[in-house]
This record gives sequence, C-alpha cells and structure tokens, in this order.
Amino acid sequence: MKLLQMPQPELRRQLAGAGIWMRTGPFSVRVQSRIPHVAHGLTELYGQFEIRSTHESFADFHVSVNAPNTPRRWLRPQAVFSFDGMHPFKPLPRDQAFPMLEWGLNWCVSTQAHQYLIIHAAVVEKNGRAAILPAPPGSGKSTLTAGLVLSGWRLLSDELTLIDRKTGLIHPLPRPVSLKNQSIDVIRQFAPDVYINRASLDTIKGTVAHMCPPRESVRRQHESARPGWVIFPKWDAGAPTRMTPRSQAQTFMFLAQNAFNYSHLGEDGFRVGAALIDQTLCYDFRYSKLDEAIVAFDQLANTPPA
Amino acid sequence: MADVSALSPRLLKCWGSEAVVYDKASGDTHYLKPLTLALYQICREHPGYALTELTTSLATRIGVADTPELQDLTEDTLDQLRAINLLEHA
Repeated sequence: MKLLQMPQPELRRQLAGAGIWMRTGPFSVRVQSRIPHVAHGLTELYGQFEIRSTHESFADFHVSVNAPNTPRRWLRPQAVFSFDGMHPFKPLPRDQAFPMLEWGLNWCVSTQAHQYLIIHAAVVEKNGRAAILPAPPGSGKSTLTAGLVLSGWRLLSDELTLIDRKTGLIHPLPRPVSLKNQSIDVIRQFAPDVYINRASLDTIKGTVAHMCPPRESVRRQHESARPGWVIFPKWDAGAPTRMTPRSQAQTFMFLAQNAFNYSHLGEDGFRVGAALIDQTLCYDFRYSKLDEAIVAFDQLANTPPA
Repeated sequence: MADVSALSPRLLKCWGSEAVVYDKASGDTHYLKPLTLALYQICREHPGYALTELTTSLATRIGVADTPELQDLTEDTLDQLRAINLLEHA
C-alpha cells in the first residue's frame, strides 16, 4: 500500500512501535519514531511511497529519530538520529526531526551503498538521458533541480547521484527536494500549487523546507537512466543564460573530489568515473532566470545524441 | 567501461589534450594539463632525450617558441611528473 492510504493515527502508532517499512529507489528503510513531526513529514512528503509491515520485509537501513535519553529532553526538546543503534550525529532541536531524518537517510546511502559510485550531485532525466548537476552550496542547484522537475524532467535525486558500477546507469533515488533559504520562496512563486512543507528555521544549513517529489518520479523510481550530461549550474544575478563546454578531465577531477566513495572504490572508482565522462557532454551553466534555464535544458534534451 | 591505458601500477585516461592518472599504489588521482600531458607523452616516446631535446619537442608539439623560459617550465614539469611517480627519478 501507499503511505497516504494509511490513516494518520495508525501511521503514528506503527511508527512509534516497530516502525514502518518504506521503499525509496533501490533501498528499503525501516523508520521508527515517536516524534509527531516525523509522522507528519512522512505523510506530507512520502505519500506516494510504498510501505509494508516491518514484520514482512527485509530492510537495508534501520533508522529512528527519537528524543535522546537524557534529562535535557525536559528542558529543551531534542531529536537524535539512530542507524542500527548508532548515533552518527549530535542531537538537534526537536522541530528539526524531519530534516534530520532526511539528512540521516542521505548519510546511510552515502556511507553504505558501495555498489554505486555516489556523487554529491542532483540528477534529473528527460528523453532517457540524465543530467548530473554537481555544484557547491549556494550555486542554485536545488532551485534549478526543483524548477526542472516541476517542468517535465524526472527527478532521480536532488542530492545523491548513484552510478551503477556494473552498468554505468544512474539509479533513481527520488525523495523530497531540499530547498534552502531564498530558494523556498522562488519555488513557491514558480509553482504555487506544489507542496512544500513547513520550513525549519536556524538549521545548520539555514532555513530548510522540503518539496514533495513529483508523483511520476516516484512511480518510475525503479527505472534507471543513461548518463547524458554533467552540467555545473551557477545562479548569477542578472547574468544571461549561457551553456559553455568545459574540460572533461577537469570535470572528472571535480566529480572524484565530490564523490562520497571514490577513494573507497579505488581503481574501480576511477574506471566508473572515466566511463561516465566518456558518455557525457560537460558544461558550465550560468543563469539568473529559472524559466530561461528550463528552456535551455529542454533544448539540450531535444538535441539527438551525437 | 572506459578505454583506460594501463601503465602499471597506474591508469591513464586522456580526453583531448588533457588527462587524468590514477596511481594504484597510493590511490591518488592526478590531473595532467595539456603541457604536462604533452611532455609526458614525449618522455614516453623518447626515453633518452635530454632536457634541451625535450624542450624543443615540447615547443613543436604545443606550438610555442623554444625559449629559456620554456626550458625552465619543462624542468619544473619533469619534477612534477617525477613527484607523482609518472616518471622515474633520473
């Protein structure tokens, strides 16, 4: 069944007990939490995702977000993320429990899923080809990703590009799109009907809110995509929209430095990364207007591969 | 899978006039800019060349004048290639 089909009281009851089993891309997760923010966040943003009873299904990751077991919880409520009983992060204020779950799931994938070369980059797909969007924070990557997936591109991931080490294909991990600071209002104005949850203030990343992943992207979360482009977006106030080719070797170096497990994979990481660059066109992309950026990406997607 | 040249214990992958090298022993990855790659290729093709011959060949290959400055640059680049173990120490 889909998560949205479960009544909220039942979801809370199961979450607080053994937890719920949920499928996200190639991974299954068992989530357990007694914090209402988490149940609420899941209902709002994971409604289209498949869930099952935890008694019936194997889970790759067993995670929980709960109040830490310290006296501090009575003074200033906090939440702590747990993975297989470990606490990889310090507790955060309780109202950041849902973003903490999101960050924790990203951490699980990026530290455990070594069957993929995992690059810190958003990735979207159209006409069978994927555009990988690596960029440092503040570059407008999340805004562009959200704009593209609200305009006909398929969301593969807003944060983790999973490259299959055997096939070179990109596996989707469509989860809520993390929007930060000004990009929250930009996307609200761009698509007034899209669901963006309540913003969490004063997080380590500033103000953070999550946009619901498009239903079609979730439905197709098991369809891999062929790499088409590696595009470095940069939002630049007043700049004309411009796509310029960039060095493949330098792009390789950037991806290697921004992969979570390139060093861990050793020689295979090099070979998978080199194969990726062989298959893709590499660009720098400057933009200031989201609608023009989407037109530029659409033109790229409509150009037959060389 | 990519067409990667094996230079045991290293892997070299070229794109146009640039390349990346993976050192299996250290796990390090290096970027070779056009001048560095050109010099590296000349060294591989002519292992007995002295510095002046390398500089002359490099000037021809990358289309610049054979000057004392280029010879200094060649010497520095050779040192860098030795530092990442792409060339053996003289």
